[in-house]
Amino acid sequence: MRILLILISIVFITAVKADEIYNLIKIPNLDIYKIDTKNKIRYLNTSNDFRIGLEKNITCARTDPNNLSNKFLIIKKNLNSYSPSFLKKNNIRYLVMCENLFISNINTGGIPDTKKRTLIIDINFNPKYFERMIHHEIFHMIQKSNSKYFDEEKWVSLNREDFEYAKCSTCSDRLNLDLYKNTEGFLTEYSKSIPSEDMAEVFSFLMTDKAKVEVKSDDDMILKNKIDFIKSSLLKIDSSFKF
Amino acid sequence: MINKVKASLSEKILFIFLILLFLIAFSSYFLLKDKCLFVKKINPNEINFTYKENIVVMNVECGNVIIELDPVMSPNSVERFKSLIKNGSYDGSTFYRVIKDTLIQAGDLEYGNIDDINYTKIGTGKSGLGLLKSELSDEFEFKKGSVAFARKDNFDTEDSEFFITLKDIPIYQGEYTPLGKVIYGIDALEKIKSGNKSAYVLRPDYINYFKLLD
Repeated sequence: MRILLILISIVFITAVKADEIYNLIKIPNLDIYKIDTKNKIRYLNTSNDFRIGLEKNITCARTDPNNLSNKFLIIKKNLNSYSPSFLKKNNIRYLVMCENLFISNINTGGIPDTKKRTLIIDINFNPKYFERMIHHEIFHMIQKSNSKYFDEEKWVSLNREDFEYAKCSTCSDRLNLDLYKNTEGFLTEYSKSIPSEDMAEVFSFLMTDKAKVEVKSDDDMILKNKIDFIKSSLLKIDSSFKF
Repeated sequence: MINKVKASLSEKILFIFLILLFLIAFSSYFLLKDKCLFVKKINPNEINFTYKENIVVMNVECGNVIIELDPVMSPNSVERFKSLIKNGSYDGSTFYRVIKDTLIQAGDLEYGNIDDINYTKIGTGKSGLGLLKSELSDEFEFKKGSVAFARKDNFDTEDSEFFITLKDIPIYQGEYTPLGKVIYGIDALEKIKSGNKSAYVLRPDYINYFKLLD
């Protein structure tokens, strides 16, 4: 009888499991968390750890239900700042929520993928920066979807001539996300990593703490020009966009 | 002298059990062999349709499947679908991709016909008519029996392959070009052969014929 039970369980375990979400965005072990939303964003939950990427270098773990229900409210509130048409123009459709997101063993807050219209968010990211991180990652999707409006050479020319960014965002130790007291053209240490991160930092502060950065820009012409650059580029994408 | 041996109660029960087992095995061999046994037969000529021009009939092993197309939702795609049906392109097309109780997919005209199936290339064939632009709708709900054009990972890559859902798949809403809905005969599609451990089927079932009602 035991052998029979084992055989039956093997048959059930190895049976083909439908994964309609995988068909769409090529991430396994997800289920629908909420899809009937005003701005058409589809929130997906990670029900089991996944490993993706060409070299399986992106990993993320399943969510704890209590943790997820708390973080979902924050994520949803922030995503609701964007209209459905703006999200569509910027290829933002799926938001995957998981815990402890790593890319090549480096912990990261989010991974945007405009081709699959998907943003993966680590709900365990430092709560101090969590909301801003969401907008930061969204900016990367905006930039990738509209690269003609975010010319990095133009952006670099806004800085002092003697300033140099790092070669890549992860190959520098400029990682601190706290707002500088004296900005001198940069809002955070991370802004100094590469131009796209600098843009994303400006955008994310405008989304979460607009008044504060605008006050700072009163005495910082470089920062002011950067803010104007981001604002004018966004208006080219969507004339109704408001921070 | 040999005494008459009487069967004990447990031996009698075992004997009856063996006879019953034999009867069940014998009858189920004939009953279960016919996978279409409990599938309701649909005759399109016995049904009154409001928009006959949008009705197509797909005949598969277990009978007829009646699909109502929606040319308002996806005009170009429905036109392509109808023209392929009209010229018999789908006749013999295999359901090479089947996810049990979820969806069935057919329509690879180049490599997926039962008469000349190419297992190494199936799913990559073309119709020769070119790719279509996706006609997406946030209104069309992917309920059980929804018919839609399949596509590659990118939009605007629809050609001739289509799929039919065997359950509600709400996440497909706005992702695939809808063609219409199965209005009769979904149970015939539920009997389509699925793969054992893969969505891809070896020696798949196929469309006998596909025709416009009008």
